[in-house]
Amino acid sequence: MSATRRRALVTGVTGQDGPYLSELLLGEGYEVHGMVMTGETVPVDVPAAVDLHTGSLSDGAALQAVLSAAHPDEVYNLAAFTSVAGSFEDALTVADVTGVGVLRLLEAIRHLDPATRLLQATSAEIFGGAPTSPQNEATPLCPVSPYGVAKAFAHQIVQVYRRSHGIFAATTILYNHESPRRGTAFVTRKISIAAARIARGLERELRLGNLDVERDWGYAPDYVTAMHLALQQETPDDYVVATGETHRLRELLEIAFSAVGLDWRQHVVADPGLLRPSEPNRLCGDASRARSRLGWAPTREFADIIREMVAADLDRIDQGAVPPVPAAARTPAPG
Amino acid sequence: MSRCALITGITGQDGGYLAEHLLSQGYEVHGLIRGQNNPRAAIVRQLVPEVHLIEGDLHDQSSLIGVLEATHPDEVYNLGAISFVALSFKQAINTGEITGLGVTRMLDSIRLVNPAIRFYQASSSEMFGKVRETPQNELTPFHPRSPYGVAKAYGHHITVNYRESYGLFAVSGILFNHESPRRGLEFVSRKITDGVARIKLGLDTQLRLGNLDAQRDWGFAGDYVRAMHLMLQQDEADDFVIATGESHSVRELLELAFGHVGLRWADHVVVDDRYLRPADVATLVGDAAKARRVLGWQPTVSFTELVTMMVEADLRAVSSARAARAAAS
Repeated sequence: MSATRRRALVTGVTGQDGPYLSELLLGEGYEVHGMVMTGETVPVDVPAAVDLHTGSLSDGAALQAVLSAAHPDEVYNLAAFTSVAGSFEDALTVADVTGVGVLRLLEAIRHLDPATRLLQATSAEIFGGAPTSPQNEATPLCPVSPYGVAKAFAHQIVQVYRRSHGIFAATTILYNHESPRRGTAFVTRKISIAAARIARGLERELRLGNLDVERDWGYAPDYVTAMHLALQQETPDDYVVATGETHRLRELLEIAFSAVGLDWRQHVVADPGLLRPSEPNRLCGDASRARSRLGWAPTREFADIIREMVAADLDRIDQGAVPPVPAAARTPAPG
Repeated sequence: MSRCALITGITGQDGGYLAEHLLSQGYEVHGLIRGQNNPRAAIVRQLVPEVHLIEGDLHDQSSLIGVLEATHPDEVYNLGAISFVALSFKQAINTGEITGLGVTRMLDSIRLVNPAIRFYQASSSEMFGKVRETPQNELTPFHPRSPYGVAKAYGHHITVNYRESYGLFAVSGILFNHESPRRGLEFVSRKITDGVARIKLGLDTQLRLGNLDAQRDWGFAGDYVRAMHLMLQQDEADDFVIATGESHSVRELLELAFGHVGLRWADHVVVDDRYLRPADVATLVGDAAKARRVLGWQPTVSFTELVTMMVEADLRAVSSARAARAAAS
């Protein structure tokens, strides 16, 4: 190992983005450390080269221990309680992990090594009720779920530490981003699994909440590239990362079911029981700053992302790894 | 049957004024008090003896549920917070836990115990921070610049969220600075009026301060607690800015306070960088037009009257303390 090899710590390494980011960083020659919770199952997607540490954003002492052990140049905070729907049932845990957890991380960085750079994965849910579309970095925060409120706390506290304590802390305001590794509780994956299972005769119907929901859906591997770029700049800043296009859930269903030669209308049942207590407005991101300053651009079309997800789930079924029927997913959550 | 209110932050400046106001309206008033043998309990008992103090902590959700079950309030006023901006930079996590998550704990407790309880959240003009427009109203975006401001913004958002998602009667009062003779000595207004009294009475010669150019909208706490109560008496829950609409610099406050006792502030004030905040908020001034229109609220004490009232009170306090010491020696 070279003395100048850069070190990165990825929290939330077991999520969708963690493995993609780890792969990118390993490819760039980083020594990669990942934080996992006690007893957490580590998916096979997490590269074996990642050095795992046990810790949690809800435990400041454990965070300090992980930072001391890994001594990273860059920390990517992807860990969060990410279920928007679930956040209505447990607002306090969400706030503790997703909100105050970031504050614990910033404090640990400030005291242990203030030169450590931090990337905070902010979610477009901070704009949930935004009256204007598309949103950019200057759009007022208007969260409409406990998850969005906690993410807004994290986003603003990062800005305070950047300004008041001189920490190199950047944020990427991430719109929905999907991939074959998307968690099964998210609506895109729920649909890709259902299309594959129905195509193979393992299932007949799919129950969904609001079919008119409109989102800006991008490709997860593109989004982790933006995170890495955000920490390679001269100064820290906030960057909206989005495609700038929105699509309706109906359109997603059309693409996913036609990919397996089916008509979604014959299989999808709208279930009002799956509606969220409050629903964000039209979320669409303007990534002009990321495009001009980071040279970032999305590489994959919406329809291609969905087809890739359906194909991956068909493969999994055909190889005997039948994806489980996910617990009721309600509506799509960014981040 | 008389109405019943629970006040968190009963030991603070506003807690006392609000308790007095609610008692005058015929309420049964309970005050949440934290810690073991909290020394400020005695102050509350002396000031408003009719208030029932009950132990509980915004850090501990079960304690809040217990308090709601024991007191059966119709209205909860959440004034409890780590409320000093400078301290919030040093104890940021604690500030997030109490000033921010404490709000969620109370809202969750209300949902569990009795969702008909009306809830008032003490939001703050510090949420505006680096202001996007002047004056600030209920629609002005937040850009907080301190851990305190961020935590208050969280409390504000989660209050709105619980109102919209669960139909709770939960309101947020966005209060600009409000002062009184009972303001804590750590706040600049009281630090100045106390300093003026001490200098006038020969106990001190100088006063060390931070940013003299900071502009604030300063009102009288006694006026502001009336607005809190009015917000919970409406047909619909909504958020209101409470402010005077005038802003004054620390320098103007010095001019008035020292001038009132015939001294020149420039002879006594020393600017000390240690009191500068890591990121100071420049100018805050509130537009309370909605509160005036909907609540029929308006301030009754002018800036000059407020400063004079505080200097007079501190002159009395400092001289009686001096007399007490002289008698003892």
